[in-house]
Amino acid sequence: MSETTNVRQGTLALMVLKTIETLGPLHGYGIARRIEQTSGELLSVNYGTLYPALLKLEQEGYIASAWGLSDNNRKARFYRLTRAGAKQLEREERGWEQATAIMSRFLSAAKGTL
Amino acid sequence: MRRLRAWCVRLWSLLGKGRRDREFAEELASHLEMHCEDGMRAGMTAAEARRQALIKLGGVLPVEELYRDRRGVPWLETLGRDFGYAIRMMRRAPAFTATVVVTLGLGIGATTAIFSVVNAVLIRPLPYPEPHRLVHLAVSYGDRGSAIFAPTVDYAAWKNRSQTLSRIAGHLGFETNLTGGTEAERVKAGAATASLFPMLGVQPALGRTFLPEEDRPGGPPVAILSHAFWKSHFGESAAIVGKSLTLDGTPHTVVGVFPATFQIPDRYQADYDLWVPFAIGDNGRAKRPILQTIGRLKPGVSVEGARAELATLVRPPRSGKKITVVTEWQEQIASGARRSLLIFLCAVGFVLLVACVNVANLLLFRAAAREKEMAVRRALGAGRARILRQLLTESVLLALLGGVVGLGLASAGKNLLVTFIARNLPAMEPVHLDLRVLAFNVGLVLVTGIAFGLAPALQASRGELNDPLKDAGRGATDRRSRHRLRSLLVVFEVAVVMVLLSGAGLLFHSFLRLRGVDPGFQPDRILTLNVALTPSKYPTPREKTAFFQQVVEKVSTLPGVQAASASTSLPLAGYSMSISGLTVEGKPEAERQVLVSIVSPNYFRTVGIPTVRGRSFSDSDRGGSPVVAMVNESFARAFFPGEECVGKRIEQWKPKTGWVTIVGVVRAIRPAPEEQPSPELYFSYLQPEGAFLMGSNMYLAVRAAGNPKSLAAAVRADRGRILRMVLSNGMKLIGAGVAIGLLASAGLTRLIASELWGISATDPWTFAAVVMLLSATGLAACLLPARGAASVDPTRALREE
Repeated sequence: MSETTNVRQGTLALMVLKTIETLGPLHGYGIARRIEQTSGELLSVNYGTLYPALLKLEQEGYIASAWGLSDNNRKARFYRLTRAGAKQLEREERGWEQATAIMSRFLSAAKGTL
Repeated sequence: MRRLRAWCVRLWSLLGKGRRDREFAEELASHLEMHCEDGMRAGMTAAEARRQALIKLGGVLPVEELYRDRRGVPWLETLGRDFGYAIRMMRRAPAFTATVVVTLGLGIGATTAIFSVVNAVLIRPLPYPEPHRLVHLAVSYGDRGSAIFAPTVDYAAWKNRSQTLSRIAGHLGFETNLTGGTEAERVKAGAATASLFPMLGVQPALGRTFLPEEDRPGGPPVAILSHAFWKSHFGESAAIVGKSLTLDGTPHTVVGVFPATFQIPDRYQADYDLWVPFAIGDNGRAKRPILQTIGRLKPGVSVEGARAELATLVRPPRSGKKITVVTEWQEQIASGARRSLLIFLCAVGFVLLVACVNVANLLLFRAAAREKEMAVRRALGAGRARILRQLLTESVLLALLGGVVGLGLASAGKNLLVTFIARNLPAMEPVHLDLRVLAFNVGLVLVTGIAFGLAPALQASRGELNDPLKDAGRGATDRRSRHRLRSLLVVFEVAVVMVLLSGAGLLFHSFLRLRGVDPGFQPDRILTLNVALTPSKYPTPREKTAFFQQVVEKVSTLPGVQAASASTSLPLAGYSMSISGLTVEGKPEAERQVLVSIVSPNYFRTVGIPTVRGRSFSDSDRGGSPVVAMVNESFARAFFPGEECVGKRIEQWKPKTGWVTIVGVVRAIRPAPEEQPSPELYFSYLQPEGAFLMGSNMYLAVRAAGNPKSLAAAVRADRGRILRMVLSNGMKLIGAGVAIGLLASAGLTRLIASELWGISATDPWTFAAVVMLLSATGLAACLLPARGAASVDPTRALREE
């Protein structure tokens, strides 16, 4: 467990949005599992904090939820992306790409070029 | 935007909490099951899989708690719970609640009512565009009297030449005779320049206001009616516009009607039935010589700047000096009321303070009864802050109810208050409970709620966990400190009441002194009547004199009448005429302005003003006989200090009277108890030189003939000791309060020194009386519980313990 990192505050929301965008409507457990798998099991999602995060996104109108049936016919609550959520995801993705690009350029700069 | 949406959703989700909780529980259950299945698929036992799933989740209850905090508005829910609890507590002790609410309601209501008046008079800006650029302009002669009016000549000069004013307007009240109806009627009228109404932004309800061509000498006579007058005289008929009204014998065409809301803001509560144009010529000539003037400053011009410029434009006086006075209009209107209102506000503030202290004491008393409840709460894990918050919620809720009661009292009481102090209030926009007053009330509620609730709450939230739960703990240190706090409160309260009573006592004492003042005449059994003649019917002084002479004669012969007289002024009537340009024989430098009254010969006898030297007017001082005058003592002192003035001669410049001999000196009458009498000159209306100065108004004065348990209670010997003990404890507190209050009063009553008359702000007799009163009240307050304590059956007290 020591090599897994806890998900940073704020980035969890972005991961949730991206996950739903990729996989379509999904329940909480599925979202958590998917985030862990995508990170190559390097990230550990605290399942307990996932639900308040989902609630916050729903309150802000980025996702919507409805009860449905899971693959093995179990009743579960499914979250889907709203149009505002898609826009927000796009905005945040761009922000992250920009930030990481800057950071990586900064970190990979050869000694003396700064 | 998103945040706002989130908050709305959170507020919304305060509803249907049970359903939402169930839904989330279901969601978590399905989550755990899926997790378990995955675990079992990986080879775990069912129990192990469930354990792992729960660990990963972090436990069901904490997650639910986290989720609930995110879903709703936690602090609001706590507040709601506290309020619910507070309401239950109040229901359980209705007598206590009612006492507190009424006490606070009285305090808050009184303060709010006074504040609503303060707000209307001092705080709320005048309801006109850019109110702070409106200034009141006046000219005073010398330093005597307050400057209220400006001469029309100066008005014209300002209007034509001022660079600092963008606009100027004026008005003056007068009385006029309305004829043509079933019976002649005296109505209050205002003369206004055509510029006044646009300046105040008033739109007529009907018709129009004055045109510039109507507002000049010789312009067509027109009038605008007040709404009240229109309603009472013409039944709100729209056909009134264009009709004609006869005022002082001249037909005036009605051109408009004002809305009911229009009232000219004025220190003297001008409340006119109708308006006519002032008609000032470019040279300043007008029918009336003075007016109240309002100007609008140009942008960037200061009050002082305008004063400096306007002073250069006034026409130089024949003698003495003219002082131009420029004041912000609102300040001028409120000037008479500011001080008394603020004193009033302070006084009710003190009353509110006393109410708060009282309530704090009650709460402290009840805190003793709730000791166990608090201990239980602490034992169940409530922190000190939590208990403090709950108790403060309770006290704020009590204050809130008090505030509601207070608001009701204020809205009922403000009308009473306005009627009661109306004479000292300028007429401005009506006093009402607007948003500012409401905000003040709410602020007051919060402040008082915390003020009286904090000390008891702090007290209650403190203390050892176990003490009150064990009966052995009763009577421990906690109680002693509560007792100390209550003692302090009593001392404080007595001190505040002492200050209040001292102030009231001083005012009352000076009122008694005022009543004891010798007014200089005999006001008992005098009836007065103001008679005004229509100028067109009695155009010359001779005709007016003849009329009044006839009336006086007729009235004198009525049964029960001792004497009757006519005069242009009456003592304390507040109206007087003055003349300037008086020459005193042998004293050319003594040219001054004096008051002048025209009287019938028996005026002094009728009103009861004694002649101190020389003789009074007689019926033989008439046209053709040498012109004589009488003066008052102030006149004699001012012009003939140390000399005999009877027999001296004076000359009046306008109208030219020739030399007039002073034949008698009468007592000087104070215009108001706190003012010194002014030099005054009297002429008889039987002599044309005097009658010339008469207007169409005279006062008729008629003097009618005839008319006009001791506290020593038998206390049983064996109870005496207990009684003495309780009493001495109580009286010590009261003594301390009185001592502090005396010191505070000595400092604070200086503030009302200028409102007092004839006594100093530290009048020992008043203070002594207040101390006596307070001590007696305190004694009575101690005696009741003391007797109760003394008559308690000892075995019952033990059993309860």
